[in-house]
Amino acid sequence: MRPLDPRLLRHVHAARWYVALTVGLGVAAAALIVAQALLIAALLTPVVRGDGIVAPDLMWPFAGLAAVVAGRAVVAWAQERYALRAAARTIAELRRAVVEAWALRGPRASWPTAEGGVATTSPGPAAPSGGGSGASPEAEVATLATRGLDALEPYLVRYVPQLVLTALVTPALVCVVLGLDWVSALIAIVTLPLVPMFMVLVGRLTAGMSQRRLATVERLGAQVLDLVAGLPTLRAFGRSFGPGARVRALGDASRRATMGTLRIAFLSSMVLELLTTLSVAIIAVGVGLRLVEGAMELQPALAVLVLAPEIYLPMRRVGAEFHASVDGVAAVDRAFALVSGGAAGVGSSTGSGVSMGATDTVRAAGEGVPVARTLVLDGVSVRAGGRGVIAPAGLSARIPLGSGVPGEGRVVALRGPSGSGKSTAVLTALGLLEPDAGRVGLLPDGGADGAAVGAPDDVPLRGLDDAGSGGLDAWWSGLTWVPQRPALPPGRLRDVVLDGAAATDQDRALAEAARLTGLDAVVGSLPDGWDTRIGLGGVGLSVGQRQRVALTSALLDDAAARPLVILDEPTAHLDARGEQAVLDTVRAWRDAGRTVLVVAHRASLLALADQVIDVRSAADAADAADAADRADAADRAAGPETDPHGAGTAGREPEPEPEPGPAKTSGLANGQEAR
Amino acid sequence: MNDQVTREPERAAASAPVPHRDARRARRYSGPDPLRRILPLLEVRPGKVAAAIALGTLALTCAIGLAAVAAWLVARASQMPPVLTLSVAVVSVRAFGIGRGVLRYCERLASHDVALRGMAALRANLYERLAADDRPVTVRRGELLARIGQDVDDVGDVVVRAMVPAGVAVVTSLGSVILLGVLLPSAGLALAVCLVLAGVVTPWLAARAAARTEARGAAARGEVTALSLEILEESAPLRVAGRFGARLGDLDAADARLSAIADDGARTSGLAAALGALAQGLAVLAALAFGIPAALSGTLSPEALTVIVLTPLAVFEATAGLPAAAVQLHRSREAARRLLALLPADPPDVSDTQVTRVIRTSDTASVLGTDDAGADGSGDGSGDDAALLTLDDVAAGWPGADGPVVAVEGVSLTLRPGSVVALAGASGVGKTTLLMTAAGLIGSLAGAVGGRSAVRQVIGGPDHRSPDGLPTERVGDALFVAEDGHLFDTTVLENLRVARGDVTPDEARAALDAVGLGDWLDALPAGLDTVVGTDAAAVSGGERRRLLVARALLAPARVLLVDEPAEHLDGQTADALVHAVAAHARATGRAVLVATHRLTPLAVADEVLLLADGARGDVGDPGRSGTPGVSGIPGPSGSPATVVARGRHEDLLATDPAYAWAAAQEA
Repeated sequence: MRPLDPRLLRHVHAARWYVALTVGLGVAAAALIVAQALLIAALLTPVVRGDGIVAPDLMWPFAGLAAVVAGRAVVAWAQERYALRAAARTIAELRRAVVEAWALRGPRASWPTAEGGVATTSPGPAAPSGGGSGASPEAEVATLATRGLDALEPYLVRYVPQLVLTALVTPALVCVVLGLDWVSALIAIVTLPLVPMFMVLVGRLTAGMSQRRLATVERLGAQVLDLVAGLPTLRAFGRSFGPGARVRALGDASRRATMGTLRIAFLSSMVLELLTTLSVAIIAVGVGLRLVEGAMELQPALAVLVLAPEIYLPMRRVGAEFHASVDGVAAVDRAFALVSGGAAGVGSSTGSGVSMGATDTVRAAGEGVPVARTLVLDGVSVRAGGRGVIAPAGLSARIPLGSGVPGEGRVVALRGPSGSGKSTAVLTALGLLEPDAGRVGLLPDGGADGAAVGAPDDVPLRGLDDAGSGGLDAWWSGLTWVPQRPALPPGRLRDVVLDGAAATDQDRALAEAARLTGLDAVVGSLPDGWDTRIGLGGVGLSVGQRQRVALTSALLDDAAARPLVILDEPTAHLDARGEQAVLDTVRAWRDAGRTVLVVAHRASLLALADQVIDVRSAADAADAADAADRADAADRAAGPETDPHGAGTAGREPEPEPEPGPAKTSGLANGQEAR
Repeated sequence: MNDQVTREPERAAASAPVPHRDARRARRYSGPDPLRRILPLLEVRPGKVAAAIALGTLALTCAIGLAAVAAWLVARASQMPPVLTLSVAVVSVRAFGIGRGVLRYCERLASHDVALRGMAALRANLYERLAADDRPVTVRRGELLARIGQDVDDVGDVVVRAMVPAGVAVVTSLGSVILLGVLLPSAGLALAVCLVLAGVVTPWLAARAAARTEARGAAARGEVTALSLEILEESAPLRVAGRFGARLGDLDAADARLSAIADDGARTSGLAAALGALAQGLAVLAALAFGIPAALSGTLSPEALTVIVLTPLAVFEATAGLPAAAVQLHRSREAARRLLALLPADPPDVSDTQVTRVIRTSDTASVLGTDDAGADGSGDGSGDDAALLTLDDVAAGWPGADGPVVAVEGVSLTLRPGSVVALAGASGVGKTTLLMTAAGLIGSLAGAVGGRSAVRQVIGGPDHRSPDGLPTERVGDALFVAEDGHLFDTTVLENLRVARGDVTPDEARAALDAVGLGDWLDALPAGLDTVVGTDAAAVSGGERRRLLVARALLAPARVLLVDEPAEHLDGQTADALVHAVAAHARATGRAVLVATHRLTPLAVADEVLLLADGARGDVGDPGRSGTPGVSGIPGPSGSPATVVARGRHEDLLATDPAYAWAAAQEA
């Protein structure tokens, strides 16, 4: 463990500035301490010796001492004043770095249980439950970004200055003492290294024991809290009084165990205190005895006496603030591990999983709107982290994108049991996640039509930023994603919903859309209706309400500019009426000529689909290709309506004529279902 | 997907300005110092505190004595007396040098022992009082309870970090002032003034700065936390929607506000630090200014002069820790306030209970809206002799700002041995509220809950006290099986024994088999003796849910009120679970009232009550059912829900189109 992480100085501007200031103040403090000792000695010596001087002779040294006192006060003020400010800024800089680094790592890292959260314990071989685990990685990162980094404040405000003082003041004072009285300096030089040496020694000897004891203490404490947390349950069963005695007994056991730890833990600080105080005493006695023998003058003796405790003071304080350093250094360490590790994350603009066809930059004149294309998933397999499962496994599908022309819409449903990788498939289609095997790409409409996926004309393009198409940002700007937990920008509800809306008659469009999604009921219950501020500092919306806001907003989008809508169907607590709103919305999107790619959990949504893609998972084999093969085999056995275009695809096309004009047939096939 | 719901309050709690609210609450809470009120619960023995202070004083006396005697020694030695005259001083300097470290070690052990005893006693006392508490059990309450750990530690820390240092400072300061006063009264007086400056004014300033920064920074801190969480959790949607950069900018702005507030507080704490340093210097200057003329005029010996000048350099170590002690005192007081708010007020003080309850409610729910709490007492009715539990025109709801908010009304039903009744309806319609009312956990707003198994006892009545003066436990024969029941950090078997202490392994196995956890149990490494992790983190949502139901099946209660057994389960498993519960009830002559929004398994029920609110467009708000207003939107603003249809599942399918439609969607 480094007491002061050099990365902190290299990367965090505020910390660099602060340490420089602290060093400056430390130098000033050292000079002031020396001046104070010399001046006190100079004032006392003639009086004690009885040199027969008069008080006014001492005016100048006295004034000097007063100035030194003032100077020390200023140093103390500046240290405290700027330490807090620097700490706040350092924490802010690190927080931003951590948050940004983690966020850019992509959804795999931040949403490890996107499927697992709803995973059930169905005994299916491919769907072990991924849900129910306690702290998600993003919760841990959040803890680090907020409370974890706050540990830096005591570290920077208390520990670092003492560390700097130890490095500056202690050697400086030893040098001064050396000039005054070399014997005392020798004592200091000999004893100073003993302090850390003994502390390390004691720490080593006791480390194992205190670790064990600490574990005991933590376990006992957790048991007490467990009982308290479970109190409502115990009360429901009428058994809440019994454990009272147990809480007391556990508390007592916890105290005994803790005291055992402390007896050992405090040993090192006792060594620290003992060595430093004893050294001061030895110096004082030595000085006194040499004075008696006439081997020393009074003035240096007094100066040494004043300086001796100051030599050891910074080191004592470092010892006292040691705990602050442990937490602070640990927080810095974790933060930098994240920041440096996150740079190579998947889904950053340099490492995208979406490869687009060479001609996909063709856009409608003037509009910047991409022409109708086909999104192709080709044997996409993704390893589910830690679950020993590939989900999806070998997923292949062709999804024609909408054009924004009414009647050319299409609903494509992703179907599969929990944990089969439906949401993961969406993430790969979004380009947020790179598949472990297979490809995701876009085919231009027309020329490549009918060609097998993976044919040479589907040129994979990595590094989308260079492709001139704007890369992921362009892809994203042409679609609307409504995840299960939509994020809304803060602001007036009306502005949030109308963000990016195309309709000219906004009020009417707003009212119609809100009626469709059921948002009107939510608006009706809000204190200020459409003018209610939501998000930070405003009214909080539940997930279901946010979902409805997002649906409404997506309804009002410019269908031509964003011809693809990706919807991860909400599953939790959605009742019949909420479900109806989702169905109506999906229909409305299709009627507007958009392709709706929906992760469907319910029969009602599947019934609405023009195209159903089955998503399967497989046990994680030696390599993903193997698993993909097996998935293909399973698909061929299971599905007679295999998509003719996808090699080993797992799709089903309910329409009579699947490919040439899917958009048109979909309108006919489902005309009777639309409202 | 429980995550989706519970994360909301978490985020609210994170973003809510906690200390600030506490400060506001403090003003509303018109009681004595909370720290003083909570101190009896620590059962601190004054003798032990005095011993710790005495040890600390001795340790510090060693430091001061070392400085004083060394000063005398040097001054005397310079006059070159016979060495023997110095031997006492030499020995005592060395003794002080050794004594200080050893005594300080003893003091730290003594004070920590007192503190740990206090924490243990506080935990036990809190537990006992909470166990005796009669207020409704709610979700948020659980979150509050989880906070107890830190708060208890903070309150206990007051001994080590505030009481003992303050005591030591007072005693040693007095001693030093007396020592100097004896040698030179004016120097003693000057030292006293400087000690007050360093020991009273400085800590006061430091504590004020800390408290102000905390209070003012709370909002900014909450904003930073909320923004960090949002960016971390929603990074992918934010990036796809092209709003990522803007949110990062918002985070920067919020952090800048936080820094500005910290910077502002640093002015005061900087002043405190400067005053502390100044006080020591002034004491030395004053000693010189008064001492040198006195020494020159011969009224003060040279040795005494050296002593009065050099001693202050050591004395101020006593006050050095006091600013931190004052900050700790503030922190402990806030912790004590939060703990007191959790507790039921002292039994005789009924009005205070109401105050506490309101406070607690606002504490947990102010951002997202109001919630929980409930009226005491319960309807006492005598029902049909055969009926275990009857609801007669019951209205259930929660108290709101403008009187009670009725969630459900006009519900009548009868549970006889072996009967299975289901409450169906959209999420948030008030099923949980109704169940809790039936269980007697919250009082009914109208109508009567009766029957043999109903809870009759009124809480806190003088005739219902346990021997130690706490209200006795009141448990009816009706068991509310909450959606979020607690799994303890112990073995599977012990968790099942929560229901009944004498559950045998065979009974446990049978119960687990009944809920479909037989295979799961076989797969466990140590079977029934497998420890499920803290808060059952190692158990999946679905397993956890079924474990809770298995536990309920083992309880001696004759009426089971089961809330959303289908949660976290896929359709098939969920239906099997409802069937298992029903079969169990019929086999054992118990009654079951089950609340669910999943209709398919309800064919097994004797009767289904469909709850709905016709007037309001209540579209599947995924907020936790039974806690209206989770979203911060006024709860059931329209008319309360009521029973819109009832009958057997098949009949409802045939007669109620909406019911049939909803059931069809589940296929």
